[in-house]
Amino acid sequence: MTSEPVSESGPFDPPGVAWQRVSPRLITARLVSAGITLAVPLVVVVVLALLVSPWLWVVAAVPAAILVWVGIVVPRQVRAIGYAERDDDLLIRRGILFRSLVVVPYGRMQYVDVEAGPLDRRLGIAKVQLHTASASTDANIPGLVPDEAERLRDRLTVRGEARLAGL
Amino acid sequence: MNAPTPADGWRRVHPVTPFVRGWAVLAAVLIIGGQQVVEDLPNVGRVAGTVQGVWWQALLGLVLFALVVFGYAAVAWRMTTYAVDDDAVHLRKGVVFRQQRHARLDRLQAVDIRQPLLARVFGLAELTLEVAGGSGSAVAIGFLKESDAQLLRADLLARAAGVKARRSASTPTVVTGPIPMAPGDPGAVPAAEGAADLVETLPPVAPEQPVYDVPPGRLLLSLVRSPAVWILVAVLVAVGVAVVTTRNLGIVASALPAVVGAGGYLFQRFAGEFGFRAAVSPDGIRLRHGLLETRAQTIPPGRVQAVSLAQGPFWRGPDWWRVKVNVAGYQSADGSQSQNILLPVGPRDEALAALWLVLPDLGTDEPRELLEEALAGDARTDRWFTTSPQRARLLDPLTWRRNGFAVTERALLVRSGRVVRSLVVVPHERTQSLGLAQGPWERRRGLVSFSLHSTAGPVRPVAYHLDADDAARLLDEQAVRARSARAHATPERWMEHVAEAVLPEDPR
Repeated sequence: MTSEPVSESGPFDPPGVAWQRVSPRLITARLVSAGITLAVPLVVVVVLALLVSPWLWVVAAVPAAILVWVGIVVPRQVRAIGYAERDDDLLIRRGILFRSLVVVPYGRMQYVDVEAGPLDRRLGIAKVQLHTASASTDANIPGLVPDEAERLRDRLTVRGEARLAGL
Repeated sequence: MNAPTPADGWRRVHPVTPFVRGWAVLAAVLIIGGQQVVEDLPNVGRVAGTVQGVWWQALLGLVLFALVVFGYAAVAWRMTTYAVDDDAVHLRKGVVFRQQRHARLDRLQAVDIRQPLLARVFGLAELTLEVAGGSGSAVAIGFLKESDAQLLRADLLARAAGVKARRSASTPTVVTGPIPMAPGDPGAVPAAEGAADLVETLPPVAPEQPVYDVPPGRLLLSLVRSPAVWILVAVLVAVGVAVVTTRNLGIVASALPAVVGAGGYLFQRFAGEFGFRAAVSPDGIRLRHGLLETRAQTIPPGRVQAVSLAQGPFWRGPDWWRVKVNVAGYQSADGSQSQNILLPVGPRDEALAALWLVLPDLGTDEPRELLEEALAGDARTDRWFTTSPQRARLLDPLTWRRNGFAVTERALLVRSGRVVRSLVVVPHERTQSLGLAQGPWERRRGLVSFSLHSTAGPVRPVAYHLDADDAARLLDEQAVRARSARAHATPERWMEHVAEAVLPEDPR
């Protein structure tokens, strides 16, 4: 969990904000799940290519290419995820090609979820999901170390209670 | 579950309820059956032949089915009870799976009185409380006698507002209140009488002042001027031409579902928005509408999360606008759009009056000029609005001059659309969260889209393709403005805070 300011400016990097990065283990988690999803069609097509026709190698190239692309993009994507706790709100940003930044005021949080699937637990990461009264608030921070996830959850809850307003 | 029993004790809904509910189920089954028949038109003849032999069995089955439905509804009625205390409404229901539900009154978002056609015949009504707990969190108490439902609504709104009625423990039922208002005549309530009764056992039905209504003629005309009708006409013409040229009547059968669907949509809109009337009262905004099923909505002050005004190209001539609102809890239960309508169709003055209902003070010295600009202006004449820079022209060839935002002390205004003009107004204290987004094309031109997240509903405030610096500044300032506005917002129990919420003067 490094706390270095990312050297970038523009609307996605408000001044005076120190971004927190998520755990690099999220890269592994995402690669493993993408690998599993893509490996199944890849293996099937490769077997068919060996048995039936060499032309099917062309088809096999599609999942292989996607796999390579995922391998290049995912580490950068994960490194681009950042969050910052300001005095009154939480900032979450993500994306390289399609970038987004969400500002969630603590007083607007209705509840906070911490989720971890089997793979996540194995790797020791968890996802914190924030919920406001709006369904379009897409505020989640994946790839947090469990301790940090718990700290964040408790902190958000406390701050949310202190600033809670009606809808 | 053993929840503390409210002091009032538990009450049952009206005994005719199972009959009304049972018929609704039967009707639904018959309609679904009917639809199957319509969609399967070519085979009907053959099926009818088989049915003819065993018609009495079919009839017996239907009668048995009806008995089961009505029997179940009767048991369900026995098991449904409700109670009201100063903090919450309690509802117990369910035959096999018991359910007990508490709706906290300080979280009350809106109260609706719904009267389906059959319930209207019996003079019954269903009261629905929206409490913004997500899908299916509404508490529906039904059916009640219409006058009881109105008294209960007044009672709930008064309690939610913090007007604590001094009730003696011996008045569990709401029979001793003032004369309930007939749904047919708004404003017929004797206001003075109501005010005098305030310290008595029950709070009165709040007096109300009508603001606008939509005559059926205008509604019909507005539908004729909507694209749906033209699509329907085009489909009918196409089918007619196809039938004439190919001499094959099967085309009619295959086009029937589409025609029924479009016609159904138009009828639903007409029936849902028929006789639309809006009024204002200290309780909040009162809306009444419906042809077959009538609905009387009450939205307390400060419960509207966002407003949108929209005008399609065919409404440009008479300058008609359609006003929709986001209210937490609406649109989650049954998905009927008519709940979210504040004005189905009306001239600009009425649309502005509708906006005024939600936001009496726009936080500017020249509201009229600002709104004119918001509705019809563009970048060439703007005084308040910040629009997309010219760099956005390639991404938004038509609307780049219109897309933009303006900020007043009380609200954020987001304008967009040139063919379909649209304006979204969000009070600062109703901001949930904010977001920026940028794709590769926008990035290359230094543009950013700004979105403001509101509760679920038809209104989605997004300002597309703003200058990156403008967007960054807006995000930053809007976060601060939303925070300070929330700090000064009216409390959940609005009457504890204000007594001056009585009728403000007319906007025009």
